[in-house]
Amino acid sequence: MSATPRPVLALVAANLRRHARDRVGLFFMVVMPFVSIVFVGMAIGNVSDRLPVGVVAHGSDPVTTALLAELRRRPDLEVRPVGSAAELRSEVRAGSLAAGLVIPPGSTRLDLVVTQTNGSGLAARSAIDVAVGRAAAVQEATRAAVAAGATPAQAAEYVRRAQAESGRVAVRDSAAATADPRGFAYTAPANLLLFTFINSMAVAAALVESRRLGMLQRALTAPVRRRSVLLGEALSRFLVALAQAVLIVVVSALAFDVSWGDPLGVAAVVVVFSLVATGAALLVGTLLRSPDQAPAIGPPLGVVLGMLGGCLWPRESSGEVINAIGHLFPHAWGMDALLTLAQPGTGLVEVLPQLAVLAGMAVLLLGGSLALFGRRALTAV
Amino acid sequence: MTPPSISPPAITETAITGPAIAALACEGLSKRYGELVAVEDVGFAIAPGQAYGLLGPNGAGKTTTISMLVGLLRPDAGTVTVGGVDLAEDPMRAKAGIGYVPQEIALYPELTGRENLRFFGRLFGLPRREVAGRIEEVLDLVGLTGRADSRLSTYSGGMRRRINIGAALLHRPQVLILDEPTVGVDPQSRKAILDGVERLVEEGMALLYTSHYMEEVERVCDRVAIIDHGRIIADGTRQELISLVGSADKVELSLDGDVDTALAKLRVVEGVIEAARTGATSIRLITEGGRYLLPSLITAVDGCATVTATQVVEPDLEATFLHLTGSTLRD
Repeated sequence: MSATPRPVLALVAANLRRHARDRVGLFFMVVMPFVSIVFVGMAIGNVSDRLPVGVVAHGSDPVTTALLAELRRRPDLEVRPVGSAAELRSEVRAGSLAAGLVIPPGSTRLDLVVTQTNGSGLAARSAIDVAVGRAAAVQEATRAAVAAGATPAQAAEYVRRAQAESGRVAVRDSAAATADPRGFAYTAPANLLLFTFINSMAVAAALVESRRLGMLQRALTAPVRRRSVLLGEALSRFLVALAQAVLIVVVSALAFDVSWGDPLGVAAVVVVFSLVATGAALLVGTLLRSPDQAPAIGPPLGVVLGMLGGCLWPRESSGEVINAIGHLFPHAWGMDALLTLAQPGTGLVEVLPQLAVLAGMAVLLLGGSLALFGRRALTAV
Repeated sequence: MTPPSISPPAITETAITGPAIAALACEGLSKRYGELVAVEDVGFAIAPGQAYGLLGPNGAGKTTTISMLVGLLRPDAGTVTVGGVDLAEDPMRAKAGIGYVPQEIALYPELTGRENLRFFGRLFGLPRREVAGRIEEVLDLVGLTGRADSRLSTYSGGMRRRINIGAALLHRPQVLILDEPTVGVDPQSRKAILDGVERLVEEGMALLYTSHYMEEVERVCDRVAIIDHGRIIADGTRQELISLVGSADKVELSLDGDVDTALAKLRVVEGVIEAARTGATSIRLITEGGRYLLPSLITAVDGCATVTATQVVEPDLEATFLHLTGSTLRD
């Protein structure tokens, strides 16, 4: 037998109305996420997603030209001409460039300048490596064509065609090789996870209050099944989590031009993460005794999990250990999924592993909390 | 022996329909927590239009009994029926006949009175079109039409109590269960609550009422059960219960003058059952119709002593309660 819809809707309507009356709660849902997105976004730089790479190239020989063209073609690099190698080194050291490349005229020996061993440096290096490899391959292929008897023009044409062919089967850079985006592109998904979870924890206070007032017990004296009350309370929290996530997606897309990626994939991540948050909220709402404990315990917990998951500052600033610990909790998996989706050409399929982990967490949390909630808060004939 | 007749007289016709089905009945209700017996073999029946009081000291088992009656607690033994429907067999239909008002205010403080009532209206499955109209009726009944759209957190304790009761009336229950409905209520709200409850009973609703206030139970209920240590130890109308401790009144007299002579004269006054000297200037009499006897008592001692003070103690429910349970209601 299914839960009857009317009592469920009665509970949902009453709970949502209660949340709508809570001004502090609304402020944390409607204003705070965007304050955080803007401020942290500005702090970690909003210069598109491109890594600044300095290039010292004084020659105009075919190698230099081909290499520069190849580097400029990369969507993740911003090529900046630099006057001298010394200047390049100092800028890389100062951090205004992620990496530098010196292309001596007429030589095939290139100097790579990377001082920082952080994520941006590594990503820039691997992007440069790919570009150099492609340029070298073109040179090699052209040389081979000429050796086989083609004119230089024919050789160039053959290679261009071959490149167009191979472009279709080109292997995409793996996630490890690409750096996390910067600016709003990073803080929007980070704050989506952070605030969806924190505000779910905060609304758990209303659930504790319902228990304390005896609302749930009283509801059970009406001709209402236990599962209807259970579903009504769970659905109320889920809708709050979902509303928070959707608000952040829509406002950040419209106001900050954040591209979230495949709508289906993003919807799946948002729904599954909201279920995780709902499970956590029900658990907190069931275990706590006083409604005042919920805001004292829930949001700090949400902040700590957010820190571990890379929702407060860029993950590349945290060590490997922190990021590994972070993957014990939902936020890190949510970040992985949302950042993957933000890359062009990805979709639901690319985030299936993360979705599976999040769904597993949701099942555990929701199953556990509903069982506990039913036993502790709802007893009836 | 009455000879069989073809057409039965009118009086048997009412007998065929039988006594009305009890709005709420329970039988052999028991609940134990390990060694502790919370409720044992509790049973009673409340007819439509009857007000039934449940009196007992704290911890006597009132709340446990009510929890079993409203379906919040599964009894170890015994049955509960609401309008003839067994609560254990068909809880949804049985619960639809009960209007339960918990002792604590179980309402959302963030919502208005009307919104709280709407919540319960939906919860009890009132047809969509009826909800708004029924809320108006209930608001009128509890006298809060004017404040319906203020948030509950702005209400006085008495107003909250009234909405708390109103929430249990929306679905027109057969039986209303009130658990201490006037605790912490101002006199005005208390009067409004009691008047309203009496009106509902007059209109045919059955009522189960528990209260610490003996005078409320005496006023509202026409039948009372006294519960102690989980058992009903007495059950009857107010008069029946009072007669358990005897119908005699106690008269205490303080006198100036010749107390012994006065005692002898008082013994022979008609209506005096017993007379005893309880101090240098005091006499206790056991009488029939105490306060009506006072003038003849004062006349009897005229000449030998002067009555300086009198006190008539008539037996009441409180005395019965004290007699049966050995404790007062308010401890």
